[in-house]
Amino acid sequence: MTLELNIKPKTYDFYLMILTSAVLAVIGLVCLYGIGYYTYTNEITPEWTQTKMYGDYIDSMNHLIYPFVVLLLVVLGLCIPKRIVPRQLLLAAGTGILAATFLVALITNISTSLAFLLAVSIVVQAAVMVLTILGRGRLTYEREGYFVQAGSSMLHLGTVIFVFDFVSMRTSELHLGVFWVATILITMGTVLSFYPGEAGSILRFLRSGGRSS
Amino acid sequence: MSYQEYLAARDTVTTIGQPVISVIFIISLALGIIAIYQMLSNDSRAFRLASQLREMDTALLVIGFIIIAWFHLRIYQTIELVYPPELANYMGSTMGTSATSLRFVVPLWIETEKLYFWTLCLSIFLAVTNYRYDFIKTKITALFSSAMNIMLAAFGLLTYYTSNPFIEPLPGLHSEITGWYQAASVSDPNVLYGALYQLYFRIIYYYNSEYMWTHPPMLFIAYASLVVTFVGCVFMLFRREKIFDRISYNHAKVGYLLLTVGMLIGYPWAVVAWEGKDWWWDPKINGSIMMWVLYSAYLHTRIYLKRRNMWQATAVLGIICFMSLVFTYLLTYIAPGIHAITQ
Repeated sequence: MTLELNIKPKTYDFYLMILTSAVLAVIGLVCLYGIGYYTYTNEITPEWTQTKMYGDYIDSMNHLIYPFVVLLLVVLGLCIPKRIVPRQLLLAAGTGILAATFLVALITNISTSLAFLLAVSIVVQAAVMVLTILGRGRLTYEREGYFVQAGSSMLHLGTVIFVFDFVSMRTSELHLGVFWVATILITMGTVLSFYPGEAGSILRFLRSGGRSS
Repeated sequence: MSYQEYLAARDTVTTIGQPVISVIFIISLALGIIAIYQMLSNDSRAFRLASQLREMDTALLVIGFIIIAWFHLRIYQTIELVYPPELANYMGSTMGTSATSLRFVVPLWIETEKLYFWTLCLSIFLAVTNYRYDFIKTKITALFSSAMNIMLAAFGLLTYYTSNPFIEPLPGLHSEITGWYQAASVSDPNVLYGALYQLYFRIIYYYNSEYMWTHPPMLFIAYASLVVTFVGCVFMLFRREKIFDRISYNHAKVGYLLLTVGMLIGYPWAVVAWEGKDWWWDPKINGSIMMWVLYSAYLHTRIYLKRRNMWQATAVLGIICFMSLVFTYLLTYIAPGIHAITQ
């Protein structure tokens, strides 16, 4: 099945960015609500964190955030193989994955479906990162340059691993280990994305055995 | 080495540091006035004078920081919590530590030193920015430089009035140290044990924690960098000059990177230090996530700066981001939660 997107690629990316920013802003608003709720409740019931109310608050914050995290994963294209498959197939791939996530949510619960979506995202992003670093495959990126693309793929993989770790592995013994893997990927990805020129210079310097060119 | 020597070091810090911060206060005041005058008159002499004052301010802030570092070194050298033998045995059996004493390795950005450190970082960022760009070249860039000088002046004045690290150095830590020596002077092991029990966790998980040496400074350096982004965004609102976006974006990159890594590093620390405590969705954590997502949105919108209305939208978002940053910083002091307690 091939679905054509009748929108210019640049316009499509622009609206995706607007949507991404809007989702981020809504997550910010949820956090603002959390600040207000915590402060207000603490004013009314000073020892409330020792009661069931605190657990309810944690649950409500998680449930408020989860849909927007899913939406963010979708709009950032983290759960769909946007670098691997042609743009025409993206809509089909995205719809398929979202439908499967919805199905898992119906059968199990929201947390499990989110874990499913994140697991798919990890597989997709890991494949993208490996292909990018090896320079294989015809991957499509918004920006040119090996280091920017490698950084972007690391950043995306680190982000999905990070969210997966929080959603599904919080009680696991591997939780902190996985957290550090995600942190290293996010840090390296951000550095390479922001400073590709400098990263290239450092690599060339190291390859030349410390002799500046 | 003893408590008396620690007290002498504390007095010395006040004696030497107080004049330094007083001069910083005077220079900040003068810098603010001259920068405002420069903005109104566009006088190049005022610009040069402001630059000189800013350089003096930076130098003095560095000197003040060296004094702070010296004081912290003296705390390490003079204060040693030596356990009586029976307590050392108890500590060995209950906490699995073979140590018979503890020393403070106090980071340089706690209590009243936080705002001072932020101001110092800001002054260094401004020094680098002024070195890289020739702001006097045009009227608008000279205005921009003055606006940054006004920000630095405001930070200097705020530090002096609200967070002077020399007037009563580290009051919280001082009361803890004093409390320990008072407990040690009472020949009751239960009193000493009570004091040690409280201080032990505080030292291990707070003062001497490696995270304390990475998480807060990364955030403060990020905050300082993002002040420059804020000033750039304010100017972007009024003038469509590429230089403002470039400066804003370059500082946002530094700030965002440090913000991200700094916040992430805080997590394993919280897991270990606040085990069993109620810290999930604490106001400060909410605020930090809010600030981070807003800066993420800023970096996203900036990609499409050339599109219609996006220049202004990016500038407005950059300003909102900074407001959320200030709000997040203040949350430690105005909102309840574990961060407020820890501080």
